[in-house]
Amino acid sequence: MIIAVPRVGSLHYMARDFCERTGLGFVEPPPYTKRTIERGVAISPEHFCFPMKVLLGSAMESLEAGADTLITVAGYGACRFNYFAELQKRILERHGYEFQMVAFDSPRDSVPDFYRNLRAVARGAGLSISRIVRELALVLRKGQAFDAITKRSVGMRALEVEAGAVDVAVSDCEDVLSVAFSRDEIDRALQEIDERFGAVRLEPERPHIKVGVIGEIMISMEPYFNIDIDKWLARRGAVVDRTIFMSDIMTPFGRNPVRGWSDEEMAGFAAPYLCHEIGGHGQLNVAAASDYARKGFDAVVHLFPFTCLPEVIARTIFVRMSGELDLPILSLSVDEMTGRAGMETRLEALVDLAWARQGLAASKSVSRPRKQSAPLGSGPAGAA
Amino acid sequence: MKVGVPRALLYHQYGECWTSFLDRLGVEAVVSEATSGTTVVRGAVYADNEACLPVKVFAGHLLELKGSADSILVPRVISQHPGMKACPKYLGLPDMARALDPDLPPVVSPCMDLSDRRRRWTGEWYQVARDLGASNMAANAAVNTLVDQLPARASRKGPGESGGIRVGVAGHMYNVHDQGVSLGLVERIEAMGADVLTVEQVPQRFVRRELKTLPRKIKWEFESRIVGAAMHWSRTRSVSGIIYVSSFACGPGSMIGALLDDQFEREESVPLMTLILDEHSAEGGLVTRIEAFMDMLRHVLSARARQS
Repeated sequence: MIIAVPRVGSLHYMARDFCERTGLGFVEPPPYTKRTIERGVAISPEHFCFPMKVLLGSAMESLEAGADTLITVAGYGACRFNYFAELQKRILERHGYEFQMVAFDSPRDSVPDFYRNLRAVARGAGLSISRIVRELALVLRKGQAFDAITKRSVGMRALEVEAGAVDVAVSDCEDVLSVAFSRDEIDRALQEIDERFGAVRLEPERPHIKVGVIGEIMISMEPYFNIDIDKWLARRGAVVDRTIFMSDIMTPFGRNPVRGWSDEEMAGFAAPYLCHEIGGHGQLNVAAASDYARKGFDAVVHLFPFTCLPEVIARTIFVRMSGELDLPILSLSVDEMTGRAGMETRLEALVDLAWARQGLAASKSVSRPRKQSAPLGSGPAGAA
Repeated sequence: MKVGVPRALLYHQYGECWTSFLDRLGVEAVVSEATSGTTVVRGAVYADNEACLPVKVFAGHLLELKGSADSILVPRVISQHPGMKACPKYLGLPDMARALDPDLPPVVSPCMDLSDRRRRWTGEWYQVARDLGASNMAANAAVNTLVDQLPARASRKGPGESGGIRVGVAGHMYNVHDQGVSLGLVERIEAMGADVLTVEQVPQRFVRRELKTLPRKIKWEFESRIVGAAMHWSRTRSVSGIIYVSSFACGPGSMIGALLDDQFEREESVPLMTLILDEHSAEGGLVTRIEAFMDMLRHVLSARARQS
């Protein structure tokens, strides 16, 4: 059994860790390229949303690299993704691929289905289910630590004294974490990570803006699709905060250790604007925007794929929130036609607005933009 | 006191029970006029540009109610059966309505979760009734009317019996039965000498039987009915062809459209045509495609008749 998972946030990191523990074969999903997108779009029905088209292309690449089992999570709530696993299977089979598909539903929806899927994986690995569950708990813990590194780093980049210090710290921390397997090792790694970040010299008094990044998981987490927005914003003097982490989504009971607030609190934050969950992460994003407003953020970037169901509802609501909470929210919808220049122009306008609101217009600030012409992965947005 | 009810989306499903609830309370229900070209255009201008056509039409209806109602009733329809879900658009509809225009009258949004215990969701309707000034007894009576009027209907009318070919139109009620949205699709097909069958005319037990044959359960209630009905028509050969009607940017619609395409290709099915509606749909294009489809069906039938 050689498995492949979608490349979204830290999901493939956790999957690799799981396979190292259990001895299952694992195919690292190849990094996204223009070709992935083109191949995915070519075999997708027109009205699939962008992440599904990309995942189809990515699945083809993983299967060609030797995977024989695709493991995926079958959506959250009522969004399109709910039925994607089945259609993905049908479409790929039609194109001549032979594989097994395991689509995990949330155990909240159906415990028997979840158990059946676990058993399929356990059989493939030749392990008992209890062993699998124990390993999964550790994988999750490690995934949370991995996401915590990201969360930590995006808030520091704009304030670092030596350019690139945070990136060095991130790669150091990832090295430390990658060799941690037992519970004690992971806890020790967490301490080391803490110390390593503590050693990065920061300049907290430097003028900066605070920007929240929210949106659909694929577009907001994968640097290839969002012009690596964390670093892009950091170069323009923005301390970034993000709300969605893959390990939070995988953690049961809605506790969200990385984000720091639970699903119940989420409903409270979103309450006056959106009083019911709407599938996907629509409610979370509305809650996050209202949380950012309360914390005095200067701007929020909302990224989602074209015609994403929950996020389109969220965007409608953001129009109202933006006015009532006095918070600039820029919604960008992304798909295979998105150009990098168009995205950058809009983001620059948002950043300028955020600086202007601070009374630090571009001309006055001294140490503000450390513009580097750093090479960014040329994303789908790289066409420009 | 006038309460506005937009004639859009699930009004086409539950409209009768909502208005009879208001009637019973002695509150005047102001239902917006039938969808016109202006409704669609205004809705498209006001609503989010990536929203689906029915939501844009809904926005148009909301705006029409702006001057004529003291409050607007937008129930939050959550689920019809345990384990089933509604499209996110229904779930967030009241919140979208509130965000649409700050000058709108207050939006009243009791939940309607038919899969839940009845007392839970009817409690919210009771509260709405009390807020509208009804007495305890009147509120209870109104809630009972609401529950009694819930559509149990399998069909409003059977197919016409003109003896012509039969065509199944699989699509949401708010697309198929709204003349302004579908540009009179059903009537046009009938005018071409065919009998039209729609989804709500298929008994639920047939729908459920067909759905069981799918490897993965469809969790959207209305979409599952569409798929079940289309598969029933195709497998029993009760129609000569099926027109699947969806709207641009409809999420669940895009998924079941792909599913129907794939499923029908795997089995001997009747011909299937997909029509995607949006606010730019024009009569000319629609008529041409229906005509071509009908010609094709007639051709198939006559070829088959010659063979036998």
